[in-house]
Amino acid sequence: MSTVVIARGNNLFSPSFEMNDKSLAQMYTQGLFTLTGQSKWKDCLHSFLPTKEKVGIKINTIGGKSISTRPNVALCLAQFLSDNHDQNGDVVVWDRTNRELQDAGYKLNWNRRGIKVFGTDTQGIGYNQNLISHLNIGSLFSRIQSNHISSSISLAILKDHGLAGVTAGMKNYFGAIHNPNKYHDTNCDPYVAEVFASSLIKKKHRLTILDGLIVQYHRGPSYHSRWAEKQGMLIFSFDPVAADTIGWQIIEKLRAKKGLPSLSEEDREPRYLKSAEKMGLGTANFDKIKIKEVVV
Amino acid sequence: MNRRSFLKTTGAAGLLTCSGLAPMLIEMQAFTQNSNLSKVEARFYKKHPDREIECILCPRLCKLGDKERGYCGVRENIGGTYYTLVYGKACSMHIDPIEKKPLFHFLPSSSALSIATAGCNVNCKFCQNWEISQVRPEQIRHVDFPPEAVVFTAEKNSCPVIAYTYSEPVVFYEYMFDTAQMARKKNIKSVVITGGHIKPEPLVELIKVVDAIKVDLKAFSQDFYTQYVRGELQPVLDAIKIISKSNVWLEIVYLVIPTLNDKPSEIRKLSRWILREIGPDVPIHFSRFQPMYLLKNLPPTPISTLVEAHKVALQEGLRYVYIGNVPGHKSENTYCPKCQNTIIERIQYHIRKIEMLDGKCKFCENPIPGVWA
Repeated sequence: MSTVVIARGNNLFSPSFEMNDKSLAQMYTQGLFTLTGQSKWKDCLHSFLPTKEKVGIKINTIGGKSISTRPNVALCLAQFLSDNHDQNGDVVVWDRTNRELQDAGYKLNWNRRGIKVFGTDTQGIGYNQNLISHLNIGSLFSRIQSNHISSSISLAILKDHGLAGVTAGMKNYFGAIHNPNKYHDTNCDPYVAEVFASSLIKKKHRLTILDGLIVQYHRGPSYHSRWAEKQGMLIFSFDPVAADTIGWQIIEKLRAKKGLPSLSEEDREPRYLKSAEKMGLGTANFDKIKIKEVVV
Repeated sequence: MNRRSFLKTTGAAGLLTCSGLAPMLIEMQAFTQNSNLSKVEARFYKKHPDREIECILCPRLCKLGDKERGYCGVRENIGGTYYTLVYGKACSMHIDPIEKKPLFHFLPSSSALSIATAGCNVNCKFCQNWEISQVRPEQIRHVDFPPEAVVFTAEKNSCPVIAYTYSEPVVFYEYMFDTAQMARKKNIKSVVITGGHIKPEPLVELIKVVDAIKVDLKAFSQDFYTQYVRGELQPVLDAIKIISKSNVWLEIVYLVIPTLNDKPSEIRKLSRWILREIGPDVPIHFSRFQPMYLLKNLPPTPISTLVEAHKVALQEGLRYVYIGNVPGHKSENTYCPKCQNTIIERIQYHIRKIEMLDGKCKFCENPIPGVWA
């Protein structure tokens, strides 16, 4: 049985859509404490992150400011890690390019001590030159993923995806390879699962968190305000497949509520989840997923 | 364009011009401009509501939302307008003998200024240039080398031909098209080295400005295209037919890969199709595979397999059949189909002897199809 925790923040947004950082921090606290069964931050983090690890938070900023992992969300988590975890060096918040990070509202930082924020295209970083061939995948991996970090948290935005069905925690790692455009055929299946299953991802992945504060439930992955809805939730799981499966369910519920056909009816249900389950990466079976909800 | 404005436009080509210019590989390292991508509107796409677009350049027909890139990785939807990011952004540049393309019946022994940008619209597991074809433009060093600079460089270096090659020129269509159009005004010919994965409409337009096209036909089965190319066979066959009916010179290369596309029955089927749809005079090159990229588990093609493919194609009635990537093999030569004399003798990319006069066999005056002057 896999556990997925959904933390909802009732007072997360002010009437003018300002995010309440205190409420966000409480969502993290209650969400992660519930997932780990711990009640102190140090114990909570050490339960899934060994000490002296170099921790990377892989975010998704391809959608620009409106539909990317929000800076408050990523930096709040990074601060918790920085303050409470005995790690090796600074926490790295990262994605493919500095341009995308900046477009999504992040301030780059790779010089000073503290939380680092930078893209793979930063001078001196780039992609590892060893081509990694795994099943149907042949890719160069970001040096951030291969060299700079030893533990990874996928902190992804949850949204509808025209090809994959949904893009969430697993597909977020497409941003760790140099050629994600080559893996969008056949509903991105089995490629999402196969990229995740490559040793550089699978062995380092520790936790999935989905940013479901505002969910794009139709015509994604690009932002369309009329098909995006405030949900005010963060989703946590150690099981990457279960987290995405619940993310899919949330999108389907929103689609049904809005009178839209299901993803299955549009022939784009996230097939990669079944492939991932078959590969032993987690469970895509709703009956084997225990959902715990906490409200802040 | 004068020399001063040319040098101002392109530092790399300036280096080429000043270097004295034996055929040389241009060192790209000093000219890194990775974030400096072009933003030139693409020519073949449809706009849809909600800032979505559909690319109609190649058979993939990518449908993209705002900020998304196509399969090729070098075209992006920015706010509902589709842009090529590689216009004038050359990542490779070299002066090659035309035989290297290979084009054997097109201006033998001429020099071709050869250029490429990043990107490709398929993903062949045996790609020999994957470091440039399977990357995004910002992941590779490139230089500003606009069409006028390409033409100027070809002219200055006495290259009668510009070749669009190495990666997949279909993905840098606009750059290639404009360069070819400018080159023609200077009597410089343009040749395209392509996988042929292109829609008919852009191909028909392209044919108007180029002089020769070499198509890499990767196999004669859709299964192979699905598994090893990630593309479709039929559009390539359609492209070959369109080219064959035009005034553009056509040659075909078939890379023979052990156990995957080397069955004599497949070669026979292919040869019959060529004979039926195009005729006996199109040159076909059976090239030797070398293990690389994602197909390192197979050995190089045995020479005997290539000889067998060559034999089958001749048996089926094709007249100009070559073996490639086997330097010194007698099937690198062109033989007159009428008198059987050797009319062009080659060793790899070099011409040793041409026994032709005005496009005819010197021995029996049989006309040999091709572009000879």
